[in-house]
Amino acid sequence: MEKRTDKNSYTIVFAIIMVLVVGALLAYLASSLKPMISENQRLEKQQNILYAMGVNENEGTSANFVSTVDAPKLFEDKVSEQLVLEVSGGKITSQKTRQEYMDSNNGQEPYLIDIKKQKSNAKNGEPRKLPLFVGKNEEGKTVYVAPIYGKGLWDAIWGYVAVDENMVVQGAYFDHKGETPGLGANIKQRYFMDDFYGEHLLSESGVFKGITVAKGNADPVNNDKTDNEVDAIAGATITGDGVSAMIKSDLKLYKPYFDNLKKQAN
Amino acid sequence: MGLLSKKDAALIKDPLADNNPITIQVLGICSALAITAELEASIVMSISVLFVLGVGNVVISLMRNIIPSKIRIIVQLIVVATLVIIVDLVLKAFAYELSKTLSVFVGLIITNCIIMGRFEAFALGNGPWRSFLDGIGNALGYAVILIIVGFFRELLGSGTLLGIPVLGDPIEKTGLYGFGYENNGFMLLSPMALIVVGIIIWVQRSRNKDLIED
Amino acid sequence: MEHLELFFKSIFIDNMVFATFLGMCSYLAVSKKVSTAVGLGAAVIFVLAITVPLNWLLDQYVLQPGALSWMGADYADYDLSFLSFIMFIATIATMVQLVEIVVEKFSPSLYNSLGIFLPLIAVNCAILGGSLFMQSREIATLGLATTYGIGSGIGWFLAILAIAAIREKIRYSNVPPALRGLGITFIITGLMAIGFMSFGGMLTGGDEDTAEEKTVEVQVTPTENTELANNTKIEE
Repeated sequence: MEKRTDKNSYTIVFAIIMVLVVGALLAYLASSLKPMISENQRLEKQQNILYAMGVNENEGTSANFVSTVDAPKLFEDKVSEQLVLEVSGGKITSQKTRQEYMDSNNGQEPYLIDIKKQKSNAKNGEPRKLPLFVGKNEEGKTVYVAPIYGKGLWDAIWGYVAVDENMVVQGAYFDHKGETPGLGANIKQRYFMDDFYGEHLLSESGVFKGITVAKGNADPVNNDKTDNEVDAIAGATITGDGVSAMIKSDLKLYKPYFDNLKKQAN
Repeated sequence: MGLLSKKDAALIKDPLADNNPITIQVLGICSALAITAELEASIVMSISVLFVLGVGNVVISLMRNIIPSKIRIIVQLIVVATLVIIVDLVLKAFAYELSKTLSVFVGLIITNCIIMGRFEAFALGNGPWRSFLDGIGNALGYAVILIIVGFFRELLGSGTLLGIPVLGDPIEKTGLYGFGYENNGFMLLSPMALIVVGIIIWVQRSRNKDLIED
Repeated sequence: MEHLELFFKSIFIDNMVFATFLGMCSYLAVSKKVSTAVGLGAAVIFVLAITVPLNWLLDQYVLQPGALSWMGADYADYDLSFLSFIMFIATIATMVQLVEIVVEKFSPSLYNSLGIFLPLIAVNCAILGGSLFMQSREIATLGLATTYGIGSGIGWFLAILAIAAIREKIRYSNVPPALRGLGITFIITGLMAIGFMSFGGMLTGGDEDTAEEKTVEVQVTPTENTELANNTKIEE
């Protein structure tokens, strides 16, 4: 005996209706909630950048952002300039200030540049826009915050790294989309992010080396700041490699800017 | 008769031990392995599954007479995925901090076969109220195993529970570490979760000989 | 070369079962006999080889932010990535259903051996996992996506074949009664996963070398645009 619900025609019609209903429902929800979601994401970006600059409310061992209420005001105060560089072949081909960039891009703020998109554009040979946020940290030192983006074990990982003019790290923030809780997800724990403070991105001779998240290095409490290494998280090798890789590939692009800065200073 | 009849109460009680989804029905293994390195993650995952399985079972139970049998699995998958995505979108809009904690679990919940398994085995053939109880019971049974595994992996792997150090400080060599104890980093790796679950099965079946396979 | 690397990487280093623990449920449930394990394994290879490239096309031309730009400039801003899960699941389900109908029609003998496994496959999280990894790892071309699908399928096939063979043999061993069946299978899988972890270093060593070379290039960076840095306003 064949039931009505066993027929191929019924099955196909049911499937089509199901897909339409679900698609419409999700599309409606996604588009109606989009303004709120992107506002939340905008505030989070500000909090992230401020965190990397050292403007945060860390207590004990936990990492805390400034509140979403204070973030826009603090962001305006602390970030004195948002530069947009275009780099190709290791040279800076153009450099825009925030105002110049906004004038030519319908008022889009530089900190909202989609790093992932810029990365895939670069793969297709298009020029890549690199935002760089300049400001003074709590100690009154000028720091430069650069966004980085890469891949962990499961999905995307990203972050913001603040460096001084010698490319010595002044603060770092990492986040992830879906790394394993308790293992890879610990890259956003304070003990891991704090390890980057004071690390050199350049070797002693001034060559860009990046920072390697190294397993079994002989320096677990991270006293040696010039070894270009921080201690890895046990059990999170691939996520750690992802962090090393994104620091290497993305921060390297900013090297010409800091070379220029140095030339000027001399 | 109390709030629940005997038969209904069994729906909640059985999955806690003798018909446990992980150790007996072999469902929901992937997530049990992936997220139990920390006790906190185990608890968050358990609560999420409790919610999704309870609600999902009721939805599927209500739809059980109109779902075409050939594509029922897909329909079930889509129902779960839609539920989870809606919750994720709403949280992202109204409780962003919470959504960041939970976003990691979204993919894991959708692909969690415990949800699919209970839809298939129970909700398709039973009414909404009984399906709801079955969902809650199985989610609790799943939670028990997750929390046991999470407890041991975090304690032996990092020497902490819920992120609070309980065995002393490994760098300062205080507490147990003063006597030469070391954290077993191996416990944090997923293969050890398999072995811990294997040992739980061993203990459970030694206590209840009826469960032994031949 | 790129294909070969991805192929072996997806079989051994990123093995679906031992590295990412996906598809565990059917792996444990259908591994009592080698013959059924082979059937399910073959079906997984087949379905992954079809659905990963299909979902790649879907991702590239429909779902990604800006993917709809082929429809005209008006559509360039659309971002449908929130639909990924649903669309991938729908593709997989439809494909499994189609394959089942086609195989049933044209090759009843193949249907008899493979057909019963097809419904099981749709719930196998390794299949959806394959498509999601393809998306998150940003596999670049359709060819590579196919290679990735086949490779992951073979990896899963090898895993279930190995455990089924071990389980057939272990019947002659004196396992403690309470551990027989599921218990010992969990523990053996744990040990096998530890074994597979040793593949982990195979390709990463090579990656580091190339990264090292690239960093040397940076050293010779010419800096002509010195005046550009003048624009920095923080000096004031």
